[in-house]
Amino acid sequence: MNIDLEHIDRIVNENGKTQSAVIPILQSIQGAYNYLPEDALRRICEISDITPSMITGVASFYSQFRFRPAGEHMIKVCVGTACHVKGADQVYDSIRRELNMETGEDTSGNGKFTVEKVNCLGCCTLAPVVQIDNITYGHVASGNVAGVITDFESQKDGGKKRRFRKATGEEMQGEIRIGLGSCCVASGSDEIRNAVSNTIDRNGLNVNLKHVGCVGMCHQVPLVEVVPAQGESILYSKVNAVDVDQIVRKHFKPAGLFNRIRGTLNNAIGQVVDDGTWSGVERYSLDVREKHVSAFLDRQVPIATEYRGVINPVDIDEYKQRQGFIALKKSLAKAPAKIIEELKESGIRGKGGAGFPTAVKWQMVAENDSDQKYVICNGDEGDPGAFMDRMLLESYPYRIIEGIIVAGYSVGAREGIMYIRAEYSLAVKRVQQAIDTCYEQGYLGEDILGSGFGFDLKIYQGAGAFVCGEETALIASIEGKRGFPSMRPPYPAVRGLWGQPTLVNNTETLSQIAYILRHDAGAFNSIGTEKSRGTKVFALAGKVARGGLIEVPMGMTIREVVEEIGGGVADGRTFKAIQIGGPSGGCIPASLADTPIDFESLTEVGAMMGSGGMVVLDDTDCMVDIARYFLSFTQNESCGKCTFCRLGTKRMLEILERITEGKGSTKDLDELENLADWTAKGSLCGLGKTAPNPIKTTLTFFRDEYEAHINGTCPTGKCKELIHYEINDDCIGCTLCAQDCPVDAIAFKPHEQHTIDLELCIKCDGCRQVCPEDAVVVK
Amino acid sequence: MLKLMINNSEVKVPEGISVLAAARLIGNEIPSLCYREGKPHFTSCMICMVKDNKSGKLFPSCSVKATEGMDITTRDAEIDESRKTALELMLSEHTGDCEAPCQVTCPAHMDIPLMNRHLANGDFREALEVVKKDIALPAVFGRVCPAPCEGACRRKSIDSAVSICLLKRYAGDHDLETGNDYLPERAKETGKKIAIIGAGPAGLAAAYYLQLRGHQCDIYDRRKMAGGTLWDEVATGKLPAGVLEMEVEVIKRLGAWFYPETNIDEVRFRKLVEKFDALLVTTGNREDNVEKWGLEMTDRGIATRGKTYQSSNNKIFAAGSVVRNSKLAIRTLGQGKEAAFSIHQYLSGENVEGEPFRFNSKFGKLQEAEIGEYLKETVKTGRQEAEERHNGFSREQVIAEAERCMHCDCRDLTDCKLRHLSDEYHAAQKRYWSDERGHVRKHIQHDFVIYEPNKCIKCGICVRIAEEHKEKFGLTFIGRGFDVVIGVPFGEAISSGLEAVGQQVVDECPTGALAMREIHDK
Repeated sequence: MNIDLEHIDRIVNENGKTQSAVIPILQSIQGAYNYLPEDALRRICEISDITPSMITGVASFYSQFRFRPAGEHMIKVCVGTACHVKGADQVYDSIRRELNMETGEDTSGNGKFTVEKVNCLGCCTLAPVVQIDNITYGHVASGNVAGVITDFESQKDGGKKRRFRKATGEEMQGEIRIGLGSCCVASGSDEIRNAVSNTIDRNGLNVNLKHVGCVGMCHQVPLVEVVPAQGESILYSKVNAVDVDQIVRKHFKPAGLFNRIRGTLNNAIGQVVDDGTWSGVERYSLDVREKHVSAFLDRQVPIATEYRGVINPVDIDEYKQRQGFIALKKSLAKAPAKIIEELKESGIRGKGGAGFPTAVKWQMVAENDSDQKYVICNGDEGDPGAFMDRMLLESYPYRIIEGIIVAGYSVGAREGIMYIRAEYSLAVKRVQQAIDTCYEQGYLGEDILGSGFGFDLKIYQGAGAFVCGEETALIASIEGKRGFPSMRPPYPAVRGLWGQPTLVNNTETLSQIAYILRHDAGAFNSIGTEKSRGTKVFALAGKVARGGLIEVPMGMTIREVVEEIGGGVADGRTFKAIQIGGPSGGCIPASLADTPIDFESLTEVGAMMGSGGMVVLDDTDCMVDIARYFLSFTQNESCGKCTFCRLGTKRMLEILERITEGKGSTKDLDELENLADWTAKGSLCGLGKTAPNPIKTTLTFFRDEYEAHINGTCPTGKCKELIHYEINDDCIGCTLCAQDCPVDAIAFKPHEQHTIDLELCIKCDGCRQVCPEDAVVVK
Repeated sequence: MLKLMINNSEVKVPEGISVLAAARLIGNEIPSLCYREGKPHFTSCMICMVKDNKSGKLFPSCSVKATEGMDITTRDAEIDESRKTALELMLSEHTGDCEAPCQVTCPAHMDIPLMNRHLANGDFREALEVVKKDIALPAVFGRVCPAPCEGACRRKSIDSAVSICLLKRYAGDHDLETGNDYLPERAKETGKKIAIIGAGPAGLAAAYYLQLRGHQCDIYDRRKMAGGTLWDEVATGKLPAGVLEMEVEVIKRLGAWFYPETNIDEVRFRKLVEKFDALLVTTGNREDNVEKWGLEMTDRGIATRGKTYQSSNNKIFAAGSVVRNSKLAIRTLGQGKEAAFSIHQYLSGENVEGEPFRFNSKFGKLQEAEIGEYLKETVKTGRQEAEERHNGFSREQVIAEAERCMHCDCRDLTDCKLRHLSDEYHAAQKRYWSDERGHVRKHIQHDFVIYEPNKCIKCGICVRIAEEHKEKFGLTFIGRGFDVVIGVPFGEAISSGLEAVGQQVVDECPTGALAMREIHDK
């Protein structure tokens, strides 16, 4: 490829010529060429202080960077936890098959598509999700992949990008959910379901009709929840069948009109906003004005998410009208020590996972008498199934900035950096806009609000490495190095960025500062439990009726979250376990559902708060597979610096793979436990130390499932190597399965019972999905 | 200065140094693979774990500063387990051989690749010295050995095995033909006397190595000539009597006395026990009156303890077929050498433990894709055939055949820290082995450095050295996690990466990943 060297020179001049500029330079080059051409990298080394070893080390460390050209279109298959439990791997395989991709290649032969797995697109409630360029497809199954690709081809030139589509290619207007818990049924929800169904048909609406299990608000039944594609969802309680038509038509216009109206509803800022609308805050910001749902919402306490669904993220005036910057003003009038004192009293602890007391951290930095100190907002959220930071950054940028400025004032720092993953493009965009506005209005820069205190703030975009959520690795990354963690002490509070005292706080922690200081410590410490004060934001997803971003007081039990907020387990299945804390956390069985959610209680049962992913699992989920899933994530994200993590995670994963393939032995279980212990004890940083948690908890609570796999069966029928497909007597000979089968394992026999050639079958699950009679069964 | 407790004793060390450095100051060597004296820590290998007695937790001692009042244990069962586990994890991806398969297979454990390198260079005397370190009768065994080493030769997977046995024969014959004058230097006389009963391969080998160690051996045999079962080979015509006699002659020249036609009965045996400092019984498997000598027996022969060759009577040792019948003369020859080692330990007042078992990394068969890597360091010509078997190779043939050796042995055999520690902590190579092993790669573009990434433990020492010396390309970590490799940026050759620091990276590499290409004596 011919590279315009002048272009490279311009990029270098814009970003700087020192090591700290490496990542921004690489990001610009990849932005321009969609990969990193070697000639460009060599040129950078010629004209800057950046050396070949630096640039190679860094570029090959972060998963954002590519060394080979990508195809014309990017297909991103979300393999976040929620998508995983709903069959994302099968979808991925089936896309590769559909595009005839060679083993080892990630781009189709014609250079049209590049397929990659991504950790989490944050659309957990639409799982499994596939994103092609700017179009997101929800509820994709291995059987309808061809449809997805055809639809994309038909859409891509039509200028109608940036929207949600069903896997069938139809545009989705939204979803109507009807409670089918026993209370709802008793109160007549069946009748309502028929009424909704009729209305949808009559008006030709593209609306999903979804039945949900018990919503937990049994005193308000029957319940109908309307979730439009854009805008807020509304929960109607005590609905009568006669009201249905009116309710439905209030939200959904007949086909054809919708597009035009939709255009006025939202200015379609970009891809990510659509995700957000679908999965995140707004969707679950039930309209508080509806008095009858207030009981449900009372379970949540919005502090980080205060004024959710109400406030315009980038409008500083709205923020000010809603008590924005009051905490800053109050703080600037106080001695820094007083502020830290107040924080101490509030009992706030770091929300990044370990729960270190925030005030103690601030104190450590404040006590250091260095002239140069830094504040870093850690927004490098990388857990599959967690999108709290992203939603907070997108929705409340000013609140977080206010927290950072107060932190800077309190610890004596004049510079701040917001470390945000580059993948969070909307968050980056909004935060940058908010920073610019703050400079314009005197909240950043010299002499803030006439106080004499000055503070500068900028964004640093992370390039895709989960380990950079660890503070020492994050700092290495800002310095333009590989994201290798280093031994603590010295803590960043003593020796951090560029060797200077540095306060590193999680986004969520910083988003709660303004609330605490605006009120007083008591407003915060009166919430929660004795040791874990205040609230915690979670991304609730998985097999729950209503997933989304929630903020609950510490100490609420798992059961309350799952049943009362999440609306119980979906599709009438049974609650089996909850995975809390993502790859560092653990699986807590339903039998311990009364465990309160606070730092200590979760650690006690072997899980941990982690960053706040919360994935509900039902009786169809295989716990060994879940452990393997999380371990494959941490193994892939291990930085490779220390022996125990680099090799321990790999070898544990191999053992788990053996077990899920039915090739494990009892000795493997012992070795797995032994390696889990040593990886936890011997690893350098939190990633390795906590990586074994998913294994340890599942071994503790679900050992029987491991043993079943060793004896050759996967009790839930999830592990591919241990199952096979069969067609039973219910087969009507419709041939759909035979037509769908990608490997011709089912002979085409109209009007006869079909059979599957097990030698040929690749277990893609396609036949089971297309069968109208549910005659394809997993054995 | 600050005070802390290391292994229950109070020590004073200067401020600002690591716990590892503090321990070294008082002579306590905490092992490490990634630590470099006086340089910033990197915290990669995790071998230097020690215990903080206050919290009971382990931590890497290279990366934590010694502070006032610390209470540290540097070695206990848990720490050992930690080091062993770390080593076993590293070994699980360490794709390489310590000793070459031929040497591992050789019952006398001869350093075959080193012999081959000398022969290929035409250094026949040096080659003989190498052979004689393990095989006391090279010209004899160059004729009678069935060469199990050739069965293990890696070259077999390409064309056919290196003709090791004939090469060894040439080394032996060359000496006999040029005056039979190679006589290694003997250690100072110890004044200790050993009676060896039986002058077969085991007895002769033991006598050779005991004489070299300065002891005095008297060898008794009921036959007229020394050589035991080797005379059977003379009878078949395989082994000329003269060759056997000349090599036995060397042992006599080293000072051993041979008493032919001497039957050792019960009475005679008792006298020997009284008169000598130690005895070695190597009478072979012929019907004998050994049972009457008062030693503990098994149903196979004299009972010996482990690999010490020591019998129920501490001063009496036994080797060869009298312990367990073997038709393989090279095996009994090797046992004679090992018994000499134990006897030397006994006579020196040491614990009799036998030759130490050394850790040996092995990776098994060559894969198709690896053949090319091994061919980089050898010639492609096929196996030389001796015109007439009884003539052996010509000088030209020897050089050509020795050049076919692929040098499967590791260049860092004696200095490899990974091997030393694996020995010390009894690490098992295969504990965490996966089904799929790593691939062997050899980068030899550099003048004198060879890089084998499959032996790398990713400690990054070489990366840091190259950075310190501002190499233009240097070395770098490429990739992340388990898949990380050390390489030269932009796919440049090793020679471009290591323009100035070749020697230093070789010296500091804790394994054989970066090593000198030219290897002779290790």
